[in-house]
Amino acid sequence: MTTFSYVLRDAFRLVTRNITLSFLTLVTTVAVFFLMSCSILLVMNTKHIVAGIENNLVITAYVNKKGTAAEVVADKIGKLDCVDSVRIVTPDKALEILRARLGNQADVLTLLDDNPLPPSVEIKLKNASAVSVVARELLSMEEVEDIVYAGELAKRLEIISRFISKFSFGVLAIALAVGALVVFNTIRIGVYARREEIEIMLLIGATPGFVAFPFVLHGSIISALGALLAGASVFLSYDRVVGALKASMPFLNFMTDRAVVMDLWLLLVGGGLTVGWICSWLAVSKFVRQAMRPH
Amino acid sequence: MEIKIENVIKQFPPDILALRNINITIPQGDFVYLVGPTGSGKTTLMRLITREVVPTKGRVLVGGTDLRKLGMTDIAYYRREIGVVFQDFRLLSHLTAYENLTFVQEAIGMPKDLIEERTNEILDKMGLWRRRFLYPEQLSGGEQQRLAIARATINCPSILLADEPTGNLDLQTAEAIMKILLSINAMGTTVVVATHNQYIVDEFRQRVISLRGGRVVRDERKGRFEINDDF
Repeated sequence: MTTFSYVLRDAFRLVTRNITLSFLTLVTTVAVFFLMSCSILLVMNTKHIVAGIENNLVITAYVNKKGTAAEVVADKIGKLDCVDSVRIVTPDKALEILRARLGNQADVLTLLDDNPLPPSVEIKLKNASAVSVVARELLSMEEVEDIVYAGELAKRLEIISRFISKFSFGVLAIALAVGALVVFNTIRIGVYARREEIEIMLLIGATPGFVAFPFVLHGSIISALGALLAGASVFLSYDRVVGALKASMPFLNFMTDRAVVMDLWLLLVGGGLTVGWICSWLAVSKFVRQAMRPH
Repeated sequence: MEIKIENVIKQFPPDILALRNINITIPQGDFVYLVGPTGSGKTTLMRLITREVVPTKGRVLVGGTDLRKLGMTDIAYYRREIGVVFQDFRLLSHLTAYENLTFVQEAIGMPKDLIEERTNEILDKMGLWRRRFLYPEQLSGGEQQRLAIARATINCPSILLADEPTGNLDLQTAEAIMKILLSINAMGTTVVVATHNQYIVDEFRQRVISLRGGRVVRDERKGRFEINDDF
């Protein structure tokens, strides 16, 4: 119990003794963890947007007007694993849709003697990567006259998503390295400032763990606090940022689940604690080992 | 705990031979003066006992344990059996006299109530009770030395090592310090004092081990300080 209270008091003393350095480290860790959470959210949102687009990815196959051509195509293509759903659009239905789209200008359609629109089959896919497979399959059917799909868009989305993931991973790695280095150096400075005290402690029989623990606690507290504050700022500002983005890009499906952001916050604090612990331990244990090493 | 130094040679890089074939046995409860000129190996010998230094050849046994074989945690526990009084006191300047004493007890995980009891007791015994809330720089040289001795002995060590405990002190204060060391020895603690002080060696006669150039040149019970010891 004495040991525990000593460690707590000493960790607090370490924070307060060099308050400027502790504050600067805290500010840096807040910035680092903020950057990390932003890049994580960027990846999550990109994946969410891509998934949203993939879910609405539709291939329209125009078929000839012979008998049950639409039903035949729908039946064949509906059996593929990568197809989510199939819908037949009759010429009458297609005209109705066109009329709705034209709105005030729908009167122009009264000039037509006959319905020129062909029957079609709308095929919804499970994922974007299956577009080319399904397109090839459709084009090989004699009932199909033409197909329309956003194949290029799907490919580009995949590429962008992969690039953002790689870029964010790079940002994460750099931010993590910077944060770790800052915590490591702060603890190292603290250790050197107290080297005489540490040497005396080791000479009177304090165990290496006892000497190191206040420093480890100091580093962990700063790092976890930095992550906590960064997480809080992300959590509080996320809705506003997403709201603003939605207003300017309403066609994109941003992630709005606050529970996910909350989970990210908890993950950040856990990560901060772990990074702080490891870096502080590395910083202090090397010094303690050197101090204990006989000449 | 008996201290046994067997055939010890200590060479510091590149080729400084600090100790040459040293053989000394110090039984439990002994009081030993280590005398000799600067660079004769007194401090190295003491640092062998605290295991800050390991011999190049030979071995150091304390209480039958070969110190070279101790692991890091073992060294910590071993050092709890040893009190060290440094020549320059090495008190922690940001802690009060009281805190300098509680600090060393906390460092070895002693219970809080026992820490308070022991600290108050030793402050009273060392005549520092009224000065307990002062910082080391606010204490006189003698008071700082008494505080250093209090710190070294508060955990009841089996061995007390004192490097020049009367250095820079006036005669009266030096005598007071020696009386404290003798009283600690009277309770069964082995005391090893490295000193240049002829007066205290001759006044408080104990075993004298004289070193010169890293060799033991004299080991005498109830010995005196000889002129050769420091020249």
